[in-house]
Amino acid sequence: MNLLPDSDQEEIIASSASFLESEMPLTRLRELISEPARVDEKFWQSCAELGWFGLGLPDSAGGLGCMLADESLLLREIGRSLAPGPYVATVLGARVAALGGAADLVESILAGQTRVGHALLADDAEWSGGSLTGSMRLVGAVGADYVLAANSSEAILFSTADLKDVSDEQCIDDATSLQQATAKAVALSARVTAAEDPVYHRGLVLCAANLVGIAEAARDMSAEHAKARVQFDKPIGVNQAIKHPCADNALRAEAAWAQTAFAAVTIDEGGTDGAFQVLSASIVAADAAEQNCAVTLQILGGMGFTFEADVHLYLKRTQVLKRLLSDSKTQLAELVSLPTPA
Amino acid sequence: MDLSFSQEDEHFRDQARTWLRENRPSEKRPLSGPEMRVYDLAWQEALHTGGWAGINWPKAFGGRESTITESLIWFEEYARAGLPGIDARFVGESHAGPTLIARARDEQKAYHLPKILSGDVIWCQGFSEPDAGSDLAALRTRAEIDGDELVVTGQKIWTSYADVADWQELLVRTNKDAPKHKGITWVICDMHSPGIDVRPIRTIDGEAEFAEVFYDEVRIPLENVVGEIDDGWKVAMSTLSFERGTAFTVHQVQLAATVERLIQIARERTGSNGRPLIADEELARSLARARADCASLQAMTYMGISRNAKTNQPGPEGSMLKLHWSELSKSVSRIAVGMIGSAALSRSDLTDGGWVYDYLFAFSNSIGGGTSEIQKNILAERVLGLPR
Repeated sequence: MNLLPDSDQEEIIASSASFLESEMPLTRLRELISEPARVDEKFWQSCAELGWFGLGLPDSAGGLGCMLADESLLLREIGRSLAPGPYVATVLGARVAALGGAADLVESILAGQTRVGHALLADDAEWSGGSLTGSMRLVGAVGADYVLAANSSEAILFSTADLKDVSDEQCIDDATSLQQATAKAVALSARVTAAEDPVYHRGLVLCAANLVGIAEAARDMSAEHAKARVQFDKPIGVNQAIKHPCADNALRAEAAWAQTAFAAVTIDEGGTDGAFQVLSASIVAADAAEQNCAVTLQILGGMGFTFEADVHLYLKRTQVLKRLLSDSKTQLAELVSLPTPA
Repeated sequence: MDLSFSQEDEHFRDQARTWLRENRPSEKRPLSGPEMRVYDLAWQEALHTGGWAGINWPKAFGGRESTITESLIWFEEYARAGLPGIDARFVGESHAGPTLIARARDEQKAYHLPKILSGDVIWCQGFSEPDAGSDLAALRTRAEIDGDELVVTGQKIWTSYADVADWQELLVRTNKDAPKHKGITWVICDMHSPGIDVRPIRTIDGEAEFAEVFYDEVRIPLENVVGEIDDGWKVAMSTLSFERGTAFTVHQVQLAATVERLIQIARERTGSNGRPLIADEELARSLARARADCASLQAMTYMGISRNAKTNQPGPEGSMLKLHWSELSKSVSRIAVGMIGSAALSRSDLTDGGWVYDYLFAFSNSIGGGTSEIQKNILAERVLGLPR
């Protein structure tokens, strides 16, 4: 038993962190806000060249054959950097394509030529006999050729070209594209049942890892501010009214990463409590990111409410990430209905 | 990263589980008094005979000298067997004993350590005082050197099991002119000495597990001092590195089991509307959150142990685990009394009275052993580097 990264995993952390820091600083993210897709094509290409979209995909399917734990370490760094783009959907999209009957798509997804966004299906959406009908919101799908949706029973992939009534909306996250769309008997490009592969649970772990990166970034941002900001001739961090929320941030970030790592490894090892650990990770990580951002905004004071300060970028991305595959109501209902793990 | 245990560790788990199943006390533990003392000491003796006493102690002092993973496994299995986590044996085996191992002279070790392991004696702690709680180093219980004795006068508070203890790890002020951390001495106090008066404290749960201890010119041989005179603060801190992140494992497993039991009850019982309690979405969500939080508490335990195994240094894990567990235990007990209807008013209800006790008792979890506020100070200052 060991939840610490090994030396190869330390390398994943160090190399991805330094790449993201130099190639996708928040100044670049702010530039991308004015572009429809909010994705830097050249940067996306570089990510593809680093093998990021196929990191956890088996060698036989063209991936790098790494563990979900490895992917989680990468997604945590991506979360910390706020790099814009549908990373989770693209990683899952390659998997669904490979395992669900669209092997011809895998290569172009992994090469960064085909992007996959998220479809958040409305309650009226249904698919049967291989075709989808219903309304939906699309997240990160501008410039994406495919979108993905997944729930506890199945994951599906379909083409954005087949969707009707596509209209742009302004997303709460300025650095994420949002659209509404309708599907009328859209043929599914690929589908994978939960029995074949836990795509939904893998995706929840990746989202949780993303959210942990945000929770940690917010924790650090408020702690730095508490040390640097002087009022009444003292750093504000001497006050327990500031210090204790900072400590709460540290605890939430620690609990969220520990649980996310635990869940990733449980999936990697095929543990029977996979769903239990994954849903727990998703809930704890979303809560950590949301609360840490809110605390940080408060500690930054008036500055925290400005567009210029970065904290709102983390706060807004959190709102997107926590809804990409399912919402917290669904996840809580799924978790409480599971049997006690052995 | 992996969650698998080696074949040796799995074998150790089987051994521990089997032994606990075959040797666990069959009778219910008395909650107080001489009967409890007899019960706890008999259990310690059984553990000792079975080779499980002093799980973290070095072999040289009669312990099992387990690896950190074995220690985790032992505490997990111990809690799963439904055995009491903290009882009157706690201070001897997990606090005073380890301090003696770290700092005592050979003759002190030779006299006391075997008695602790074999279940001959109960130890208690004499640290907190009415004016020295979170600020422990402000303690004022005086000890004057008189010939080859210390003469102790003052008062301690929050001493668990003082009425049944034989020995006490006692912190006294031997130098009132030195800075507060530098005038303290750690001494072994015989609880049967003349001049000691133990008065139970009745607490909100109706029990009297804690006591005030008064010292009126209590004479303690100087040879009972552990470490040097005035060096007691460092002696008291030497146990910190001993528990290696497994101190809360029993609590963590017990709390997770409590949440699972509540979920079971919520599925089985029907509310006034004739539907199962779990059909109430608000309750279902709070139980789901409790499940997720308990899972994260276990994951944090494993993460802390992973770090400890690598660095062999106690990190901030202790404070994080204590803070997370104590706050979570309060919210779980609040969920419980919210589930049981008017039985939440009854201490005598045979089915649900225990939840009411737990609800009241849980308030002490975020106070005893370092308040949540102190844990947050430690976290903010030592982990995040915030100014004092």
